[in-house]
Amino acid sequence: MMFVTRMIAREMRSSWRRLLFFFICIAVGVGAIVALRSVIQSVRQTFAGEARSLITADAIITSNQVIKPELAAAIDRRLAEAGATSIRSVEIATMVRGAGAAEGRTRMVELRAVEPGFPFYGRMTLAGGQPFTHDLLKNGGVLVRPELQAQLGVQVGDTLAIGERQFEIRGIIESEPGRRLGAFSLGPRVFVSLEDFEQTGLLTFGSRASHQRLVKAPDETLDALVASLRGDFLNQFARVRSYKATEDDIGENFARAEDYLSLVGLVIVILGGIGVSSVTRVFVQQKIRSIAVLKCVGARSSQLLVIYLAQVIILGLAGSALGVVLAALAIAAIPATLAAAATPGVTIHYGVTVPAVLQGLGIGLLVSVLFALVPLMDVRHVKPSRLLRDESTSARPDLVQVLTIGLVVTGLVLLTVWQAGSWRIGLVVTVGLASTALVLNLAGVLLIRLIRPLARSRWFALRHAVLQLSRPGSQVRIVLLAVGLGSFFIIGVRSLQENLIAQFAVDLSPEAPDMFLLDIQSDQVDAVRAAVMARQDEGAPPPRLIPVLRARVVAVQGGELQLENYEDVRGRGSLAREYTITYRPTLEGNERIVDGAFWTDAAAPAPPETGTAATGGLPTTEVSIEESIRDRFGIKVGDTMRFDVLGRTLDARVTSVRHVEWADSRSGGFMFVFRPGALDQAPHGSIAFFRGPSDPLVRGRLQSELVAVAPNVSVIDGREILQTIKTVVDNVTLAVTVVGSLVVLSGLLILIGAVAMTKFRRIYEAAIFKTLGATRRVIASVLLVEYGLLGALSGAIGSLGAVGLTWGISRFALDIPFTPLPLLTVGGVVVTAVLVAVVGITSSWDVLQRKPLGTLRGE
Amino acid sequence: MIALRGVSKTVLSGSAPLTILHPLTLEVPDGQCLAIIGPSGSGKSTLLGLIAGLDSPSSGEILIDGVDITKLDEDRLARLRGEKIGFVFQFFHLVPSLTAIENIQVPMEIAGRKDAVVRAQALLDEVGLHDRGHHYPSQLSGGEQQRVAIARALANNPPLILADEPTGNLDSTNGRHILDLLLQVRHTRNVTLVLVTHDLNVAAVADARLVLRDGRSVAEDRIAEPVAAR
Repeated sequence: MMFVTRMIAREMRSSWRRLLFFFICIAVGVGAIVALRSVIQSVRQTFAGEARSLITADAIITSNQVIKPELAAAIDRRLAEAGATSIRSVEIATMVRGAGAAEGRTRMVELRAVEPGFPFYGRMTLAGGQPFTHDLLKNGGVLVRPELQAQLGVQVGDTLAIGERQFEIRGIIESEPGRRLGAFSLGPRVFVSLEDFEQTGLLTFGSRASHQRLVKAPDETLDALVASLRGDFLNQFARVRSYKATEDDIGENFARAEDYLSLVGLVIVILGGIGVSSVTRVFVQQKIRSIAVLKCVGARSSQLLVIYLAQVIILGLAGSALGVVLAALAIAAIPATLAAAATPGVTIHYGVTVPAVLQGLGIGLLVSVLFALVPLMDVRHVKPSRLLRDESTSARPDLVQVLTIGLVVTGLVLLTVWQAGSWRIGLVVTVGLASTALVLNLAGVLLIRLIRPLARSRWFALRHAVLQLSRPGSQVRIVLLAVGLGSFFIIGVRSLQENLIAQFAVDLSPEAPDMFLLDIQSDQVDAVRAAVMARQDEGAPPPRLIPVLRARVVAVQGGELQLENYEDVRGRGSLAREYTITYRPTLEGNERIVDGAFWTDAAAPAPPETGTAATGGLPTTEVSIEESIRDRFGIKVGDTMRFDVLGRTLDARVTSVRHVEWADSRSGGFMFVFRPGALDQAPHGSIAFFRGPSDPLVRGRLQSELVAVAPNVSVIDGREILQTIKTVVDNVTLAVTVVGSLVVLSGLLILIGAVAMTKFRRIYEAAIFKTLGATRRVIASVLLVEYGLLGALSGAIGSLGAVGLTWGISRFALDIPFTPLPLLTVGGVVVTAVLVAVVGITSSWDVLQRKPLGTLRGE
Repeated sequence: MIALRGVSKTVLSGSAPLTILHPLTLEVPDGQCLAIIGPSGSGKSTLLGLIAGLDSPSSGEILIDGVDITKLDEDRLARLRGEKIGFVFQFFHLVPSLTAIENIQVPMEIAGRKDAVVRAQALLDEVGLHDRGHHYPSQLSGGEQQRVAIARALANNPPLILADEPTGNLDSTNGRHILDLLLQVRHTRNVTLVLVTHDLNVAAVADARLVLRDGRSVAEDRIAEPVAAR
């Protein structure tokens, strides 16, 4: 025992430098796992158990329309039966204007109007420790987020105009309950009282507000209450949701996210493990003579195995600990923008979590031992007689080695299952990893075979480089796999990012609309149009106003589909949702007819025989449907659909099916377009698209003028949205690039390990070459060509994979046109080639420097 | 006492068997110094390795103090080497990651001796390296490394020292010193010494000589004729 413990200490003292790569491989992988898990767990801890605070109530009823009195009465009755109470709340995206010093500055905000008693659960925190009470909101009080305060340059005590009413800023919101994680935000939050809000005039017809009833109910009656309310709302535009559903969703979503992200970490750890395996193999090879000496003086194989295994465990733990430190540093460096984008208005304290650390240490240790075990088993085969004559250890694996390999493979599968949190996903990932490895391996074999004819080249460097790459036992395939995978990640995400940004870049076409107005009332159309045109750049096309209404399908009489009433429609899933519809005489630029015919004589009323008997006050008309409605629900040209347009029924015959180029949504996209006539007189609002002024100052001025003439209108600045999208895409790209860089780093570590493995042979060969007259320059050019080729092949695997990935995702997941990026593809290959060449040559420095005589003498 | 009875070694050279040591019977009494001589490839080192239990013979018995070591498993062989045999190699074979004194301590630690440090220092003194204990092998000259190797070989007071061309990698002065040291040790400790050598001067100081050629014993105890006949 004394021998074993002392030897562990002595070996660690001398070997740590050689095993530094081992250490780094583990640290990088563990760091990735701990960081990814910790971030998710931090977010989850912030939200878990706070499902009630998230909806600020036990249950929430939401509707996009004002809840009708009869329905409200029914709700009140149900609540009374269940012993529940409720308060009302409205959420709306609207514009605020500064007053006084901030006069003329406007900003879109997400306003929430609440009644006394808000919130039932959760806590509103205000700056400076100011306690929140409803009194702060009473009589024209408003609470704002610090972002708005900064954007408008306003202070507590200043005045803001919202709609037609003035509000006094009475506090700054630090955090609020009920803000959804990851929700896309149109602007900073402001709070007002519902009573005041009703005087703003913002709740005009058709405005895009969410009307809510926050319900507090005893736990024992909650489930029954939610069920009965759902029954009541079957035919109404309202939804009810209990906090329990939210809780389940949050738990499941986070658990899934955590497990998926951890798998990404696991891939890095496994690549690190491959590095560990190479390093250990080299280490054992370098130690063979010492092992033989120790055996010669009486040490047993088992003692030596314990000595080296203990080193692996110590290094594994130390590497894992370094990984935890790296994770902590990485988490501390999370960009504030990312944190803010993910969770508007919610403060999450990111930090390394204890469970993540424990898992990281466990995985680091397991991967170290599993990957080192097989090469370490070679210790048993070292014969002390090696000291007397040069003999190789047996190459054929024995039973113990086969059993060890079996144990290691089983261990890795179990590790993956553990990290994935499910047998199914774990096995799928294992099979996926094995298949990816196989495909990359095959690609490697193919590429090596392709370059093999170059071995006949007359250029010495190229000939020997190719011979080195294609010789049996070279580490080429494993390096191709690891570096190829890493470059695939990085190039893939970059190429996706560029494709995505290109889609959103409105700047590309100077005339494309970049400002949008929502909720324009019929009587505001002229004033809005005039205000916009007065500020537009010269030559810009005039604003386009599109009438919009809300409607839902309540029945379908068709060849294939017979839906008698709304219950039947509900059975068809999303067909029952509320749609925004429009009417117009012509097709838009982003539309084409794929079936039937679009009305050309829009001025004339629809032929009377086209529909069934009108059931409401509106005449029968024609509708053009989007092709997904046809494909998903089987509605065909000639079928008759019945719509509920704000409580009035309208029958329309389907006369055409349109294909809409959604990617080109500057002209808007509608599932249902009606023939003009039937809806013209119905009360409706409009939306507008136009090219805003290019000067940011004029843009700001236009926004305030628009809010002045139409206070309820929401102004969406496409450039700001684009900026937000860019930020989000940039952050995601950054995150994936970090992961990809880690994979590349693991790949380079494997490369260094591989170089080390063959270094002794290399030094010997170089010594012979030098003796035969090769200069260092010749040897260097062989190395340069060899590693350059290896890098280029890895880069080619990564780049080609990335092109495939981007094409697949663009085509099938995002539905955007795929733009090939030749510069990025070629650049990826070149950068990978250079990187691998530099690392390869640097780690082969000894090969160039060693004097041949010493090597040949065996010194 | 060492006794070999019909010991041979055959290995595979490609797919064909190659006998590198033909059946050999030999006895080395306690306290004797035997020199094994012969040209390269004659089977000298193979024989030494077989005596040490570093390799197993294809046939025959090897008895050390009456124990047939060909019947022992790897662990028992390791223990036997630790307790009864000290090695000295041509290329010293010190563990490069250990200092001189640690190299000497190792066999004693394996044997579980508590006085390893004190004894290792005494052995260092004995081989004349009093102040070099904390140097690594790479910081020592060839002669010094071989002294450390001798001290290591003596660590557990083995009754048998096996030396494989102990002076083969040293200049003549250092070679002479090492040989003197080995002979001195043999006398003071009364150990059996088996050494493999090319050097006739070295062989001349032995009590007995075994001459090998192509894996066969061509002469015993008569140094001049077979070697001169080459």
